[in-house]
Amino acid sequence: MTIKWAELAIVAIATIFSAGTVVLLYGLGVRLAAVAADRRPKGALQNAVSKACFGLCGLAVVVGVYLIVPYFH
Amino acid sequence: MIVLVIVLALFFDFTNGFHDTANAMATPIATGAITPRLAVALAAVLNLVGAFLSTEVAKTISGGLIREGEQGIHITPEVIFAGLMGAVLWNVFTWLRGLPSSSSHALFGGLIGAAVVGIGFHSVNFTTVVAKVILPAVAAPLIAGFSAWLCTRLAYGITARRTVEGAKLHQGRATFRIGQIFTSSLVALAHGTNDAQKTMGIITLVLIAGGLQETGSGPQFWVIAACAVAIAVGTYAGGWRIIRTLGTGLTEVKPAQGFSAESSTAAAILASSHLGFALSTTQVASGSVIGSGLGRRGTTVRWGTAGRIGVGWLLTLPAAAVVGALAALLAGLGTPGVLATAVLGSGAVLWMFVVSQRDKVGHHNVVEVQDAGEAVEFPRRRPFARKGSK
Repeated sequence: MTIKWAELAIVAIATIFSAGTVVLLYGLGVRLAAVAADRRPKGALQNAVSKACFGLCGLAVVVGVYLIVPYFH
Repeated sequence: MIVLVIVLALFFDFTNGFHDTANAMATPIATGAITPRLAVALAAVLNLVGAFLSTEVAKTISGGLIREGEQGIHITPEVIFAGLMGAVLWNVFTWLRGLPSSSSHALFGGLIGAAVVGIGFHSVNFTTVVAKVILPAVAAPLIAGFSAWLCTRLAYGITARRTVEGAKLHQGRATFRIGQIFTSSLVALAHGTNDAQKTMGIITLVLIAGGLQETGSGPQFWVIAACAVAIAVGTYAGGWRIIRTLGTGLTEVKPAQGFSAESSTAAAILASSHLGFALSTTQVASGSVIGSGLGRRGTTVRWGTAGRIGVGWLLTLPAAAVVGALAALLAGLGTPGVLATAVLGSGAVLWMFVVSQRDKVGHHNVVEVQDAGEAVEFPRRRPFARKGSK
């Protein structure tokens, strides 16, 4: 019997890393949006960075879809 | 016989669909990110799309679990029929109890049981069972749970805002609801690419076994279409009981937690299906929910419910195997036996359905535990700012 420990470890690391990235980006987006809302009418910078974070997070999800669809490979 | 198997396989696909709606949609429904009916519709469409996207998994179904070919052992349609019967009955039973259990395990269990009786003990590769089924079953909830725990801590850590005096500031965590729609959609899509494949694989196996299709060829288009529709309809029917267990039975889910849990679920499914260590969607999702429950301060995880789910997982393989074995025993008697199995099986499903009607769980009361008195009828647009969502 061969248990693929290496694969198991890779799956675990990949899971934690990618989920962590998505949550980190989205969390930063949420925080900066809240900061910007508090500083209104100032806070344009925070607002822009917040948007960028959401955008990057969306990109991460798109990469996920790309991985799902074998047609793209 | 082959027609019978195909019908049963599609019914299995249907049960698989409504069993697993919860994996993707339990948490967004629980947090109110999507209304229940919209959630199942979304999941159904994504499952349908997902099923068409890939047929890779279908080609490797049951690979290695049951020793085929070499020593002249051939899986007969009868064995597959019996195995499917075991899987279907166990799926419907766990749905009745509201337990999220792995449909793949039920399928493997049923096939193993049927193969042992129909062909013999030597037909099953038990070491492969341990390496491919049992170990991942332990690993899946642990990996997803740890990831979700970490992500929840992260999400709350990042968004926590206080003034110097320590008073809480506006945090905007309700925004996570919008993100939930996307992460849960990703889970549903990933599910479609994985789970509809199993049934396609089975039907193709039967067609090959019956000599209607060339050995080694992929699933035919009508098989793909039928499976996609079956799993989508099943998803739309919605396993409300399981959604309730996963969404509100394990822990109270807040948007940030739901987002973390879904991200972890999606990441785990994608990672596992692309890096060669298959994990069960159901077990990943349940692990994520528990992990996110542990990650937020002030939440309790209902370990009683978690324990019941755990027992369900332990029983899935052997129970489906026993039913599969019994069905194989009966089906081995020839055509009357097969017919008797079919009649008994449909009778059992019907009976469980009738029992379920006594205590009906539908989209109207799926999250009443949390929202009792607040949204029994589910107004078209739920108020987004609720107490405690900060």
